[in-house]
Amino acid sequence: MRLSTPPKPLVARLQPYLLIAPTLILVLMFNVVPAVKTVTDSLHKPARGLNAAGKPPEFVGAQNFHDLFDESHYLGARFLRSFRNTIVFALATVALGVPLGLLLALLLNHEQPLLGVWRFAVFYPSLLPLIGAASIWSFIFSDSIGLANAVLRSLGHPGLNWLGDRTLALLSVIIVNIWKQAGYFMIFFLAGLQNIPRDIYEAASLDGASGWQQFAALTLPLLRRTLLFVIVISFIFAFQTVEQLQALGEGGPNDSANLLLYLIFQNISERRNWGYVNAMTIVLIGVVLTFTLSNFLLFERDESN
Amino acid sequence: MSICRKACIAFVILALLASAGIAQDDIVIDFYFPSATANDAEGIFQRYADAFQERNEGITINPVFTGSYTDTRNTILTELQGGGAGPDVAVMLSIDLYSFAEEGYIIPAQGFIDAMDDGGAYIDDFFPALMANGVDEEGNVWSIPFQRSTPILYYNAELLAEAGYDSPPTNNAELVEIAQALTTEDRDGLLVPVAGGFPIWMYQSFAIAYGQNIVSDDPTEVYFNTPEAVAAVEFVRSLGTDLGVGPAGGAAWGDTPVAFLAGQAAMIYHTTGNLSRILDGAEFEVGVWYLPSGPAGDDGTGYGSPTGGGNLYIFDDGSKSDAELDAIWKWVMFLSSAEIQADWGATTGYIASNATAWETEPLASRAMEYPQYGVARDQLQFADKEFSSYATITVQGIINKTLESILTSESEDAQAAMDVAQAQIDGILAEYK
Amino acid sequence: MKPTGGSLRRLATIVKAVIAIAFLIPLIFTLLVSVRPEAEPVTNGNIFFGSELTFENYERAFVIAPWSLHYLNSIIFVAGVLLVQLVTVTCAAYAFARMRFFGRNPLLMIILLQLMIPSGVLLVQNFRMINILGLFDTRIALMIPYWGSAFGVLLLRQTFREVPIELEEAARIDGANLFQVIRHVYVTNAIPAYLAFALVSVSSHWNEFLWPFIITRSQEIRPLTVGLNKLIKTTDQGAFYGQLMAGTLIVIAPLVMLFLLFQRQFVESFARSGIR
Repeated sequence: MRLSTPPKPLVARLQPYLLIAPTLILVLMFNVVPAVKTVTDSLHKPARGLNAAGKPPEFVGAQNFHDLFDESHYLGARFLRSFRNTIVFALATVALGVPLGLLLALLLNHEQPLLGVWRFAVFYPSLLPLIGAASIWSFIFSDSIGLANAVLRSLGHPGLNWLGDRTLALLSVIIVNIWKQAGYFMIFFLAGLQNIPRDIYEAASLDGASGWQQFAALTLPLLRRTLLFVIVISFIFAFQTVEQLQALGEGGPNDSANLLLYLIFQNISERRNWGYVNAMTIVLIGVVLTFTLSNFLLFERDESN
Repeated sequence: MSICRKACIAFVILALLASAGIAQDDIVIDFYFPSATANDAEGIFQRYADAFQERNEGITINPVFTGSYTDTRNTILTELQGGGAGPDVAVMLSIDLYSFAEEGYIIPAQGFIDAMDDGGAYIDDFFPALMANGVDEEGNVWSIPFQRSTPILYYNAELLAEAGYDSPPTNNAELVEIAQALTTEDRDGLLVPVAGGFPIWMYQSFAIAYGQNIVSDDPTEVYFNTPEAVAAVEFVRSLGTDLGVGPAGGAAWGDTPVAFLAGQAAMIYHTTGNLSRILDGAEFEVGVWYLPSGPAGDDGTGYGSPTGGGNLYIFDDGSKSDAELDAIWKWVMFLSSAEIQADWGATTGYIASNATAWETEPLASRAMEYPQYGVARDQLQFADKEFSSYATITVQGIINKTLESILTSESEDAQAAMDVAQAQIDGILAEYK
Repeated sequence: MKPTGGSLRRLATIVKAVIAIAFLIPLIFTLLVSVRPEAEPVTNGNIFFGSELTFENYERAFVIAPWSLHYLNSIIFVAGVLLVQLVTVTCAAYAFARMRFFGRNPLLMIILLQLMIPSGVLLVQNFRMINILGLFDTRIALMIPYWGSAFGVLLLRQTFREVPIELEEAARIDGANLFQVIRHVYVTNAIPAYLAFALVSVSSHWNEFLWPFIITRSQEIRPLTVGLNKLIKTTDQGAFYGQLMAGTLIVIAPLVMLFLLFQRQFVESFARSGIR
């Protein structure tokens, strides 16, 4: 059969490339090509000291990376702490935010009274501009004049220093992120749930399967693709969190709640640090890429079976 | 005048309007400004631009809002590094001098001043403390003071009077005594906003009060681990721990004036940039006084605070014509004139930067009505340079993180933490010697 | 003991209510603080209301930025981004979902890199690109980096792969060409995914701050977030929560209304696709 198929005309062979060309060109122009410069910059040390402007950077191999993993270097301790925080932050978002999004989708999937209100209540946070949302939470978390402490104090508790206490600051930022994103994740689960035919459930109900059994045996496996998609994007987004930190304590006391991308922003404007910030960017991209690729490959292998 | 001529003129005017009001050979000055107040800065600068254009035909001012100070710095750097033209004049932090001078983006104002007939008088009218951050180690003036401020002590005069204190504290011992007397279950005696990412400025007040500013005229020298510098941070930490007059780790910057206005703090350290807001918003008598001296002086010699705020910078990579530079300098002169300084100071609360402005309306009558403005001005005689060095952002980052770790008691041993920081800073600044 | 259907439903309602209330608290207080006198923070007396209801925060917020201009700019921005995205994303998603061609997976990987590289660190280079194209301070400059969307490609590629291949084959037999196949077979069957994508695209670009801020200078084209930024960055005078909350509500109001209107469409299209 295959052998007898005449070779495709050139136009037909070019078709897929023409279809992806606009996206591919834009991504190359604004993302990939600029990122290549990040790689080369991460291997160079900018000229420093008096009259450094205009002098070419010096190739230093992996020295920038080496410095970043050195606690005694002026950015080393900050990098390691922010890196650790970013991992904790991303895992917490995935481990708490994604199940919450799924739960909300399951609760709000079917026609029911006040459906619009319920969905709005959990989805509106993702409609807020990050800087606005963070400012609202900075009001809630404020130590002296904040809402959370006003409530706690009216209950006789002395109040918590949400953003100023180094043991609490990261948790506060995580709370805000989950609140901001759970409804967003819900939307994808809702779309995914629509692809599951209703009659499967009807058959299962007739067989006497309980709600939980139906969920574990039917819904979850059928939502696998959506679940993987949401896990991947939630992980990626967690690594790109930055704007809200401006209003939420600027990374906490001594970087106790700082995240990698914000640390990059704090140091990007001084030439002497360009090697370091680019090295940090490479580490960040590396972690995300590894996570995404492994998920993607697992998924593709799964698909082809 | 004939009808024909009138029609002609009308036609020309219409044509001018149609070309968006900018004549072909007008010099256009891109002016980037940050906003750090709740005023309609865009509206105010447009008003200034209109007034300027009326007096200077052939020059058009294009005011562009560029966010906070940090946003402004990053916007300008991104634009210049990305091959853009950048602004002609910008308001940036007075401490941004070395960062931009190092990159060769800005030019000194000194050349323009030297070319003036009365350049000396122009410069001498500014308060000397406000010039400190705009001058390099060789004495060249780079930037001109525009919206300046210092930290100052605000106190709730009614609460102090109730507790039997008729005058504000003048040294740290009195400060602690009054703060403790005024601390209750729902009120802090004293809030010092060192939490929230930028403790260095407030901390500098204490370091100066203890007799040692952490910065000098030499941008390669920093004094962060001297006994005075250590004692100062230990004192600030004790306010939230042993002395218990405020929250441990310090108060958050933005919330401090709100707490003060609501009567939840008896005294606060905050910027004079806040003066108008606090005076207009308070429902009690607001007292303002110099930051108390540390143990260094008992007769007022230990008073002192750093300066802060934004200066006017001139951008040129060497490509601008004399006519353009001339227009740029006219705009800088205009914004730093007594007329504009008086208006800007009265509207926002920033300290008008030259002496003449204080005799000019509307500031003169505002200062008459509220003597607190005069206190902010008079404190300038004790004020000292704000922290700035080569690699300012990096060095400032080291200092801020170290202060935070000490203030939140993550580092118990202040001296040890500051020694580590000092060594890192010295390593960086050695490259500039 | 197995819970009965009734008690399970009750439990679901309770869980729903608890989560919804917890999520709504920030919004409720945004509203309350926006009509509360600035001088009366929540710690001072009643948590919910101040001594009076006031609109002075809104009045002040309105003065600070030309909101109607910013609105118009934001609408043009998000619409311009979304319309082009729908075309580019659909084409690419179809190719990756249903066509076999040399280099398919590597090319998809390259596109997915967009998701993984934080665009904030590329500002200088993106600025340079815009400058070379001569687009600095134009509406096109605002939109162009978003016209290609790896996120959209990924989402729609998955959805297209769920569409039964038989539908395409049937259409081909009926003589449909490529674009008719995409339009009538794939787009029609992926409406929920398009809605989800549109919602995500609009809300994220509506809230985009850094790029619009860096690449524009003219008030005439700057979007809402630039105006909101003015209310947030009042550093030298401390926080103005009332004014800030009023400004935040001004910014999100149309988006909220859009969602509430859109919500019905959303449910209906979901229901339709469910019947299929």
